[in-house]
Amino acid sequence: MTSEKQSGRREFIRAAAAAALGGGVWLAATPSAETTVWQIDPSKCVQCGQCATHCVMNPSAVKCVHATRICGYCDLCSGFLQPGSPRLDTGAENELCPTAAVKRSFVEDPYFAYEIDEVLCVGCGKCVKGCRQFGNGSLYLQIKRDLCQNCNECAIARQCPAEAVRRIPLSQAYFLKEAGAEENPAS
Amino acid sequence: MNETEKKVLPGWVWAMLALAVVSAVLFLFFTDRRPEPGPALRYDVSEYEAVEEEAIRYAERQRLRVELEEPYGLAVAGDGRLLVVGDTGLLMLDAAGRELVRRELPFPSYCVAVAADGVSYLGGPDGVAVLATPESESVYWDTPGENILLTSVAVNEQHVYAADAVNARVLQYDRSGRLLREFGGPNDPENPRRFIVPSPYFDIAFDSMGSLWITNPGKLGVENYRENGELLSTWHKPGMGVDAFAGCCNPAQIAFKRGTTLVSAEKGLNRVKTFAADRSFAGVVAAPEAIQAGWSDAGNVYARAPIRDLAVDADDRILVLHGPLHCILVYEECVPGKDVE
Repeated sequence: MTSEKQSGRREFIRAAAAAALGGGVWLAATPSAETTVWQIDPSKCVQCGQCATHCVMNPSAVKCVHATRICGYCDLCSGFLQPGSPRLDTGAENELCPTAAVKRSFVEDPYFAYEIDEVLCVGCGKCVKGCRQFGNGSLYLQIKRDLCQNCNECAIARQCPAEAVRRIPLSQAYFLKEAGAEENPAS
Repeated sequence: MNETEKKVLPGWVWAMLALAVVSAVLFLFFTDRRPEPGPALRYDVSEYEAVEEEAIRYAERQRLRVELEEPYGLAVAGDGRLLVVGDTGLLMLDAAGRELVRRELPFPSYCVAVAADGVSYLGGPDGVAVLATPESESVYWDTPGENILLTSVAVNEQHVYAADAVNARVLQYDRSGRLLREFGGPNDPENPRRFIVPSPYFDIAFDSMGSLWITNPGKLGVENYRENGELLSTWHKPGMGVDAFAGCCNPAQIAFKRGTTLVSAEKGLNRVKTFAADRSFAGVVAAPEAIQAGWSDAGNVYARAPIRDLAVDADDRILVLHGPLHCILVYEECVPGKDVE
């Protein structure tokens, strides 16, 4: 009788151990909820400038990105030059960007190429607004994944008046700005 | 003296101190301490949007409702009727704005012109579409190239001109649809880079003398051409002031009044202005404040400029097709002493 009881107990412990082990293996093998990251939807962003001041990073993890396929390569670029700037050149008094992060280079008369120096960019969106108001809107703001701290509650998202900042799966590509695209797909 | 005797603060003082600390922590936690972006981080063109009252020489007299989802093009027929095209169809209105004809189109149309004989020419995604009457079937003209965006059509007795913004060229057809010439673009042997068109705003118009004018938006001005493509004159005026064209690519739309007075509409700074025959500034028709009243596209980064087209009717009134308001704004020149603005 006693040995039967002991045998039953052992079997129960073995079964429980097997179940725990199997459950552990199953849990390890099953993909958990995917990591998500914060992104700006360029189709919603209104360039309020608060990305520069509300990000916990200093300078902000939000940077200007240039969609060169949309760019008009203008000489009088409203994303590069101050409104009413006396000359169309790279003089500091003519540049719109407060940190001179927009770089201008000559392509061929009368076209100029523009690129963003991410190290200098503070994500204020001033150039984005200028480009959107007068030009094609080829400049846009985006949260750089290598700089973002991926805070639980993004301080920019909390402040964004257009609700343009949202989480997307890490596996999903950056939101891009494309000519003709109406809006980015919902995650 | 007893060393064990200590000065102990009363309990209520401790309670008050604890309350103050907790209040301070809560206040700091819930108060947004981050500064608003300063002036160095703000893009501000408000000083250029302001227009002096004395510079406004026109008054809005009428608003004609346009029941199209996205109206894009406007033309005035010889009999005074108005033709409006858009993404979904075509409307014909009488001068008072009453709808005479409405029809669906199988393609979106961004521009329209009406000849003296009543034939309509529409800019479609594949080229020019011709309607003998607003109700008749479309006839499509062959347009070379694959990626085409016709943003303007103009017609006179002999020729039809179509502005292709993607290829920065103007196509010249005869009235039967035969392609005669290309101004600018890859097939122009003289100057393929005649026009700089950074954004999809590229317009053509005839002045009151019948002379052909084409905008050169990248150079911020207008150019006058003979019918054989020979350049007659250019007038480029970049600048943010009211007497110039602002931004990277303006004027967006043009039309002509009697006496070859140029009427221009800009994007970015949404304003309509007139320039005399010698291109001196003649006056503001509609200031940005008037164009921007009653609507907002702040949440739509893909929004087109609100002024979709310009036209001048037989009474020399300026017609402004306003997209977001879905109407044609009719402006008349103020008569000194009669109009008190």
